[in-house]
Amino acid sequence: MIEDMKKKLNVLLVENSPMDCKMLKEMLSKSAYGSFISQSTDSLKSALEMISQDGFDVVLLDLNLQDSKGLETLKKLREACPQLPIVVNTGAYEDDLGLRAVTQGAQDYLIKGKYKPYGLSKSLYYAVERKNAEENLHSAYQRQKDIQAQLIQAEKMNVIGGVASGVAHEVKNPLATIMYGIEFLCMKIDAKDEKIKLTLSSIKDAAQKANNIIKDLLDFASLSNLHCRPEDLNSIVEQSVNFVKYQCDNASIKVIRDYDEKLPRVDIDKNRVEQVLVDIMLNALHAMKRGGRLTVRTSTKTFSKKDRDLTCDEIAAEEGAVLVVVEIDDTGTGISKESLSKLFDPFYTTRRAGGGVGLGLSIAKTIMTNHEGCISLLNRPEGGARARLVFKASEKPAG
Amino acid sequence: MPKRKILIVDDENDFTTMVKLNLEATGRYDVMVENIAVNAVNAALGYKPDLILLDVIMPGTEGPDIVSNMKEHAGLRDIPIVFLTATVRKAEVEQENGEIGGHVFIAKPCSLTELIDAIENQFKDTG
Repeated sequence: MIEDMKKKLNVLLVENSPMDCKMLKEMLSKSAYGSFISQSTDSLKSALEMISQDGFDVVLLDLNLQDSKGLETLKKLREACPQLPIVVNTGAYEDDLGLRAVTQGAQDYLIKGKYKPYGLSKSLYYAVERKNAEENLHSAYQRQKDIQAQLIQAEKMNVIGGVASGVAHEVKNPLATIMYGIEFLCMKIDAKDEKIKLTLSSIKDAAQKANNIIKDLLDFASLSNLHCRPEDLNSIVEQSVNFVKYQCDNASIKVIRDYDEKLPRVDIDKNRVEQVLVDIMLNALHAMKRGGRLTVRTSTKTFSKKDRDLTCDEIAAEEGAVLVVVEIDDTGTGISKESLSKLFDPFYTTRRAGGGVGLGLSIAKTIMTNHEGCISLLNRPEGGARARLVFKASEKPAG
Repeated sequence: MPKRKILIVDDENDFTTMVKLNLEATGRYDVMVENIAVNAVNAALGYKPDLILLDVIMPGTEGPDIVSNMKEHAGLRDIPIVFLTATVRKAEVEQENGEIGGHVFIAKPCSLTELIDAIENQFKDTG
């Protein structure tokens, strides 16, 4: 039994023959099965325009039109409207064509003259149901694939994390010895000899770099231990801005703030999220070596599966859920095509020469995933890049 | 002002050598090193330190067990103890305001200044 038989279907009749079109309209108006409103056209071009402007539930498609013939008609319509149910309406001599149409994406086919109003109506309603079922199956399959990919990634991260943790722990002790040794030598050795000063200073810097790498590795290994509670994200964003403000001033980078005053609270580990924000801001600063503008924006959005603008496919939220968005825009050099797909891979870095170990964005992504949020990095059309962090709100906005 | 007596218990010989050198170079501390964990209590009973720097993971016995053993001796139970260990991250220590499970922790590696601050903070509390 079709779930919503009382729903009036909005049908687009794409039919070359005016007489056939008139007959179809009459059939739909007289049918005892369901109810319909319909519009009609005789060309594919016009059909595509009408579909883009109106919300049709189903298309009844004659394959042989003025501007398109045969299965090519179906192919073009299907490409333009992948989610619209299509019932192909073919001439009697084209039985085989109808079968091929179904295998190429149509939900059903009818042979002209071989059906009555009841059969036509049922076919249209069934096509809608069949398309819904296909979409649900496709979504479920896609979700399964995504979960599988996440599990594989999580397992990889666990293994990397375990190794990283073990290595880091073993290295910390000898590193501590080196650092104390340097401090002692700095105290005791004659500071007037420039070469000795330089040598000690270089060793100290190298030890500190090694320490930072160890810290990153341990952070990477411990990413699942979050201490979450409801927080005001505006204040965390502002603290992160203050952290980098000195470097911004030194590099002639103007900071612009655009905060939503009614931002809902989010359940987050404040230290971890601050870590992500600072990391992203430092990357932005790095891309603006000759000055520029850093814009930091917070806003609220309502989640919709149809919202392509959010560009954050990994967030698993209910339709209508309240989301809190942080965007960090820079006016820097942008991200190369080669880097875009690898940005979040562990150990990928464009700054190896500068001591970068390439865990920053990988850690950021894992932190966001562990918060059930998501992160994206894209080039802006006007130049520079945008980092976007999306969180689920823990309560509705006040007011 | 008399020098403070510090006992450091850690199985990493190179590390304890460096800590001793650095602390004694300040002129404020006398440092005794014990690299074998099971000897820690006897070392403390003999040396009578003002403070103990204690590693957590060591062969034979672990830092917290040493603390429990020391509490059984009247002369040792009030000596301040600072855990100086690679088993925690700095961020974890900061998150817990420098104390985990009621004990003061410093995450290795830390600077000499941080180490001295942590030592002197214990003496501020006890006078």
